[in-house]
Amino acid sequence: MVKRVFEKPLSLMERVLFLDFMKGLSITIRQAFKRTITTHYPYEKLKPPKRFRGFFGHKVINGKEPQPAFTEWVERFKIAVEPGKSRCVVCLLCKRACPVPQLFEIEGEKLPDGKRRVSIFNMNMMLCTFCGFCVDACPVDCLFQSDIHETASYSRKDAVLDLSTLEKIGKDWQNRREDEPDRIWADDNARMRLWYENSPKLG
Amino acid sequence: MIAVILIKVLIIVALVLGLGAFLTLVERKFAGHVQRRPGPMVVGWHGLLQPLADGLKLITKEDLFPSMGNRILYNLAIILALVPAALVFAVIPFGPEFSIGSISVKPILTDVNVGLLLVFAFGSMAVFAIALAGWASNSKYALIGSMRKAGIVISYEVVITFAVMGPIILAGTLSTYEIVQNQIQQKLWYIWVQPIAFIVYLFAMLAETGRVPFDIQEAEAELVTGFTVEYGGMKFGLFPLVEWYVEVLSLSAIAVVLFLGGWSPINIPFIGFVDPLFFLGPFSGFVWFILKLSALFLLTLWIHWTLPRYRIDQITQIAWSVMLPLTLVNLVLTAIIAPLIWR
Repeated sequence: MVKRVFEKPLSLMERVLFLDFMKGLSITIRQAFKRTITTHYPYEKLKPPKRFRGFFGHKVINGKEPQPAFTEWVERFKIAVEPGKSRCVVCLLCKRACPVPQLFEIEGEKLPDGKRRVSIFNMNMMLCTFCGFCVDACPVDCLFQSDIHETASYSRKDAVLDLSTLEKIGKDWQNRREDEPDRIWADDNARMRLWYENSPKLG
Repeated sequence: MIAVILIKVLIIVALVLGLGAFLTLVERKFAGHVQRRPGPMVVGWHGLLQPLADGLKLITKEDLFPSMGNRILYNLAIILALVPAALVFAVIPFGPEFSIGSISVKPILTDVNVGLLLVFAFGSMAVFAIALAGWASNSKYALIGSMRKAGIVISYEVVITFAVMGPIILAGTLSTYEIVQNQIQQKLWYIWVQPIAFIVYLFAMLAETGRVPFDIQEAEAELVTGFTVEYGGMKFGLFPLVEWYVEVLSLSAIAVVLFLGGWSPINIPFIGFVDPLFFLGPFSGFVWFILKLSALFLLTLWIHWTLPRYRIDQITQIAWSVMLPLTLVNLVLTAIIAPLIWR
């Protein structure tokens, strides 16, 4: 036997005078005269939070590497350290952490002086789920996720990030947002735009 | 005389199709603001030219046709939807009689003495369009949509006919122009004595035009817009245009004529009329008509963007077990009381 659960039945007055209809109608008309909360997207864009999981990038060597981890990995693999180039030490931990490992295509090369460096680092964004495991796995804070989210492209080939693209995204990120405090929302204005009527206490 | 009639025809056709297209923008703006979006903003000032852009897009689209469909019925359905809906405007009086020079002009195309009968005959024909569209498309969703519409026809058509009988008894005529004249002579909007009939009429109007909460033939959540699903381009555009705008406009106009005194200004029952728009002179009547019409249209939009959808059995149940008895009681009471007061 199915137990039947009902809402409180409408009273006679509510039935005759459509009071429940009126309640709904009054709500919609009150909303209609409030301020709109949308962004006019192509003309006006919200800045994503710093933690946003967008397209990937390689941070470049600029003297702010996590120490002593970076030096340890460089010594272990005899990596050629060149400022302005990717921090990648070709440890393949990102590939091992990835749920879809075939999206990574990583190769290193040996320089004439015996040092090594990364030569190929392709990420196929068609397969990526943006879970961020590779970022967590990266021991030298090289691979990271940027705030780039408008990623439509005209061909499947454009969806593959190669090493130079990753470095470009990384340099751009380090210039723009590296020093920002790590917060959910990029700035208070962006948050106020969405939730101004809750008047949150910021601190 | 022919020239006058031709001018009237041109004005009405231009008004119906042009206004219908423009009302899409009104609806989108209204729906947007109810959901706290601004609606179309890009084409023109606050999206004012959006209907033109939409029309251009729809016209240039590819005309697809389902391979197993019936091409004759498929195209006939569009004509059957558009023509009766536009023809209803032939019997709607937009304002009082006026004269230019020596010619006196009634702003109504044909003041036939069975005007209301015509309105509801044309209204019933729109259902054929929907049924044919669903059948000719040879698609499950389309067929379900049109069968649903055919299913609720028997509920709202009966109810709407009984609902309008009250005002007809009070006015003693079927001519739309005469009904308004009688309301002005009796100094009474019929909504004051027929509130039940008015509410029932609104109910049937929403059902006939496929507006929420009775939009089960479209039901975009279940039926992906129901009977229009196999239509493309402007052929698709015509169905919502006709159902949602032209029919709502025509039925609202009939409601204004029957219950709200047509072009007459604000009414105090049995005492007279108060006209705050007296400074408009001879245009006052037309402005009042347009004001009442837009108020009813906006009410329809407001209901549309507020309420959820009823199931088909619920609609039939409301119609047959609530609305129909109400209108019958209303009809009997009116038939008893009306001769005592006015005859």
